[in-house]
Amino acid sequence: MIRPLVHAGLALPALLIALAWQRHALGVDPQKALILETGIWTFNCLLVVLLMPIVSRWARWPALLKYRRAVGLWTFAYTSGHFIFFLSFYLGWDFPRLAEEIAERPYVLLGFAAWLTLAALAMTSTRASIRALGKNWKRLHTGVYLALLFASVHYLLMIRSDWSWPVAYAAIALFLLMARLRRARFMRA
Amino acid sequence: MNRVTDEKAYRRRRFIAGALGLGALGGFSALRYGDGTVSAKQSEAPVVKAASEELVSEKTGERLTNKYAATHYNNAYEFGWDKNDPVEKSGLFQLRPWQVTFDGLCAKPGTFDIDDLMGMPFSHLEERVYDFRCVEAWSMVIPYNGRPLKDILRVVEPLGSAKYVAFTSVLRPEQMPGQASAFSTLDWPYVEALTIEEAMNPLTFATFGVYGDQDLPQNGMPFRITVPWKYGFKSPKFVVRITLTEERPEATWHKENSREYGWYSNVYPDISHPRWSQATERRIWSETDVERIPSRVYNGYADEVAHLYPGDRQQYR
Repeated sequence: MIRPLVHAGLALPALLIALAWQRHALGVDPQKALILETGIWTFNCLLVVLLMPIVSRWARWPALLKYRRAVGLWTFAYTSGHFIFFLSFYLGWDFPRLAEEIAERPYVLLGFAAWLTLAALAMTSTRASIRALGKNWKRLHTGVYLALLFASVHYLLMIRSDWSWPVAYAAIALFLLMARLRRARFMRA
Repeated sequence: MNRVTDEKAYRRRRFIAGALGLGALGGFSALRYGDGTVSAKQSEAPVVKAASEELVSEKTGERLTNKYAATHYNNAYEFGWDKNDPVEKSGLFQLRPWQVTFDGLCAKPGTFDIDDLMGMPFSHLEERVYDFRCVEAWSMVIPYNGRPLKDILRVVEPLGSAKYVAFTSVLRPEQMPGQASAFSTLDWPYVEALTIEEAMNPLTFATFGVYGDQDLPQNGMPFRITVPWKYGFKSPKFVVRITLTEERPEATWHKENSREYGWYSNVYPDISHPRWSQATERRIWSETDVERIPSRVYNGYADEVAHLYPGDRQQYR
């Protein structure tokens, strides 16, 4: 009952973006719109993933955590869309140029690092990997906070003049990071 | 509180959390993509059948970007940072009356009405088809209506000591929501500048309209300066003051971030920008036709302007 709702909720933005693309409703520069929208939804999904444990404690709802993998995989789907659109529209699949971009532009480097991190987490999200990695699995998957950090700075670096949205996202990210650190210290004490 | 009410309270929290989560996802995406908020006024968008409806300049035969794209995808931070803010948030902007003041190092300073600046009926102005190249690595081909700036500058008789020409844009926060925004770091009004040689170059175009249309605040009307061999922000919009100076004047984006926005900001595909590689550009022909093409030095106008920049190009970035 809940699982289909989770998938439907996270598929909805992708579906609406695809429909808008198809009926030319993404404005004059649909390529840029596709890149921006998939980027924002990567961030939204990341925030959902990281809010889930907090909500699960607040509502004594341990079962909620069963759906974390689904949200995590959707996060990876959006970030991959973001990366693929960038590769295709801005670089024309020119991989040597991708290497140059990563070397020269910190925002590309951070975006790429976030994508790699999320890819590693998605690859190790199977039951088999959880078993095989044992204790290390948990350690590896705190890497999602690293991805959040990369994504926040990546977005902050996009600021040219208007800083409202990037700063709002960074503030939420900071809050989630602090909450996690506080909890880690609390658990150890 | 006993266990039963306790459990009830938590169940309510679960419901609230679930409903809020799904509501936020659904609401946010429906609002954003449902009615075409991402784009501007969808109903106006013409359906373009790519090749068959290529727009061509009647005068020069060059292929043009279609008018819808050129008037619904603009950078005018005066109205907002989003590309469709200029068309959507310029409803209050008053195009007339409009006057431009000429001052500084010239023999005949003064304030002129825009119709006097045109010097002829709007429909008689020259049409120039220029490649417009944004620093964000996209470009359009646009027919501009106007006359060479040098013909106007000659009227005020610049003195020999005048080395630069400074442009000041209008300051009207009550009509331009971007100027009133608390989230913008830019100083208003917008200022830009050229050297006197650049301003007197025949390519530098005093512009009163595009596509034969004067009523387009999103494109910088009623009066802008078009400098086609530089990145677009060097072509100031809504100009109300032109000042001849001896000292090099400041420019808004250069002041904001001089590492990213050079004072000259000529189009040099081989000089990489911290944010955008300038080697290629995305040529926007229409909302359904975007093409990635190599960029050209001086945006293709090297023959006309390269002589203005002797020595190492780095100093003219």
